[in-house]
Amino acid sequence: MIGKIKANWRVTLLIVFVLAAMIVLFVPAFDASEEEIGNESQQAQGLTNLQYGLDLAGGTRIRAPLIGMTAEDVEFGGDSEADVAATVANELPDTGTNDVIARQEFEDEPGTVEVVDPDVSETEFASAMDASGYEYGEIRNGVTAATREEAISVLDGKVNQAGLSGSTVQEVASGTGEFFILVEVPGEDRQDVIELIQERGEVRIDIYHQGDDGNYTTEREALTRNDFQSIGTATQNDQSGPHVPVTVNRDSAEEFQQLAVDTGVAGPGGSRCTYDQDPENTEPCMLLVVDDEVVNSFGMNPGLADSMQSGSWAQDSSFILTTNSFEEAQRISINLRAGALPAELDILGGTTSFISPTQGENFRTNALIVGILSVLTVAGVVFLRYREPKVALPMVVTAFSEVIILLGFAAYLGYPLDLAVIAGFIAVIGTGVDDLIIIADEVMSQGNVSSRKVFDSRFKKAFWVIGVAAATTIIAMSPLAVLSLGDLRGFAIFTILGVIVGVAITRPAYGDILRYLMTDR
Amino acid sequence: MVDIAVPEVDYTQYSNRQLVVVPLTVLAVALVVILGWYVMTGAPANLGLEFTGGTELRVDVDGENPREQIDAAFSAEPQSVQQVAGDGAYIISFREGEVSSTQLENEANEAGFEILTIDQVSPSFGADTQLMALGGIAVAFTGMSLLVFGMFRTFVPSIAVVASAFSDIMIPLAMMNLLGIDLTLGTVAALLMLIGYSVDSDILLNNSILRRTGDFYESTHRAMRTGVTMTLTSMSAMAVMTVVAYIFGIQIMTAIGFILVVGLMADLMNTYLLNVSLLRWYVHEGIKR
Repeated sequence: MIGKIKANWRVTLLIVFVLAAMIVLFVPAFDASEEEIGNESQQAQGLTNLQYGLDLAGGTRIRAPLIGMTAEDVEFGGDSEADVAATVANELPDTGTNDVIARQEFEDEPGTVEVVDPDVSETEFASAMDASGYEYGEIRNGVTAATREEAISVLDGKVNQAGLSGSTVQEVASGTGEFFILVEVPGEDRQDVIELIQERGEVRIDIYHQGDDGNYTTEREALTRNDFQSIGTATQNDQSGPHVPVTVNRDSAEEFQQLAVDTGVAGPGGSRCTYDQDPENTEPCMLLVVDDEVVNSFGMNPGLADSMQSGSWAQDSSFILTTNSFEEAQRISINLRAGALPAELDILGGTTSFISPTQGENFRTNALIVGILSVLTVAGVVFLRYREPKVALPMVVTAFSEVIILLGFAAYLGYPLDLAVIAGFIAVIGTGVDDLIIIADEVMSQGNVSSRKVFDSRFKKAFWVIGVAAATTIIAMSPLAVLSLGDLRGFAIFTILGVIVGVAITRPAYGDILRYLMTDR
Repeated sequence: MVDIAVPEVDYTQYSNRQLVVVPLTVLAVALVVILGWYVMTGAPANLGLEFTGGTELRVDVDGENPREQIDAAFSAEPQSVQQVAGDGAYIISFREGEVSSTQLENEANEAGFEILTIDQVSPSFGADTQLMALGGIAVAFTGMSLLVFGMFRTFVPSIAVVASAFSDIMIPLAMMNLLGIDLTLGTVAALLMLIGYSVDSDILLNNSILRRTGDFYESTHRAMRTGVTMTLTSMSAMAVMTVVAYIFGIQIMTAIGFILVVGLMADLMNTYLLNVSLLRWYVHEGIKR
């Protein structure tokens, strides 16, 4: 028995691999998606542990660059990051400090300055840099790696806060060296996703009031995201309408309380805000500002104003941000929790795609039908050609096992299947069977194969051709596997993987099977 | 039952010149078509959405006269409207223009269409992709050529393989232009795949003729028997994939399948006419020089 296994170790290896693939595919414990948190919903709700890509599961995929320019090798001259950013922002007429990011990893080493305002041109940026007096190298399009990382973590937070489970946010590089942020959200509509990720989501509270000279002024950033200790989820009730409950942290609470009292928002008896009807004639207001746009304005009720006046509010420091609609409250809550994007995504500068869940399901079934019919065709042709089940049956079985092993790999790696990958599987069956035909023809050429020696020498000859052909396919497909040409990466990876599995495992095994059937032992 | 027998061609009846003329003529025509396309349109093929940028919607349209409904629904002129045979959905594509994809989406919703898929690509991204795809094909082809030259170490047999692979790529490309099929990422992948498929049968033939003792014609027949079987098997699988995927409107599979079918046909011709005659010349005359 052991001797037999040893003599046919190639077949044994094939069986081992097929069994392992089956286990990975069908035994729930081997579900790769469990290791990747946040990937649950991409997992197939079927019999197998296979994961499906957006093509087959439905959802939205957005690939977009971050808007911005970077000045490299900036000499900070001992100034802090904040100072540098403020100085450069000052030189740009309509750009706030939020739109300028200065980064210096190590002191005394040159840093970078980024401008993320879409309205600033490269020349404007260059002259602002010149005017600010910091020496710098070149100015290039695109933002720094640190900014991209920050953007990815914020976007990740946003999709998670929005309850879109199974979403992924990652960075991809194009062949021309441009970086894109790739956001994939299963099961969600395109516009909902765009709405969620396209705004930077910088939320702040300004106080708008009449100054001593009688003109209205705005105290900017009375409260920003960092001032909040906790941020509630969007809520709606009869008393206050849609709103987000928040708690201000201890230090900021004292300050804010003082500011509210000084500006008169927390005046005696509270304040009534009429900012949206008549901004030139209103009592002091708090303005809820998202990305420099006032989304809501409100006064303060007498109870809250009293507690601010007495100074007791700072002990409790809870507070609500009222909004016009529940959706807006949700958006504000998500933005406050996830934070603001360091730069805006240029959605129109990339690609977006949406597949409805029903269409995804159709694609899944249809692609399966395409695959099965193609395999049956191959089997049919092989039977017609060889007539002899001894040759043809193992050929078809071997080709099938190759697909099972590949599916096992896909499940093990947690690689989401999409249409291109399935096309790759079909292409693999094609090359696989080609090679099996080479082996069969070679071995059976020139009459009977009686001895093991003759068989082995013929098998070796056949294998030379197969090896060279496999190497060419791998070389031909490798550019696609390396370049981020979107959907085709999967196709290339699985074609290459298929060729390797074929040459290393399935084709040698077929040789063994054929030898067992053909030679007189 | 149908019997698939590989026909035995009596090569002795034809001179090398006669054999070579057919594949070379076809290749020349293909090159003229591709060059003509380049001169006329500025690109060697009809570039698809992924390369030019634009928006493609796949929608379900209920009610009477779906075509008229589609024409009325959008404020931009669709570049093409295609119906999927399998489920009756419509694939409508727009070139990148004044109308944004979001507006098209809204218009489709307002018209009451059920949106099944939306794909939008910006022109700048498309131009990048174009460059990468071209680079990918160039790298793949060069890599293949180097490998083949490294394996055979002789000029004529190597150039036979490379020339045949080149022709295998050009013929389907020209065919796509003539049939109005767009070049997409799927078709680029298929063209790369073709390099692998094409080399298979060429290497088999070269190997059989150069590394075996025995008569040239006998070796050729043996390689042909195997090679034609291989190519026919792959071709039938790809043909089925093309047709079924077309019925279901799975564009990427249709594209990959179609290119491979045409390419494999070209490969049959190139391997057993062009390659065989080059090798015959090499074995009978080239070596003696």
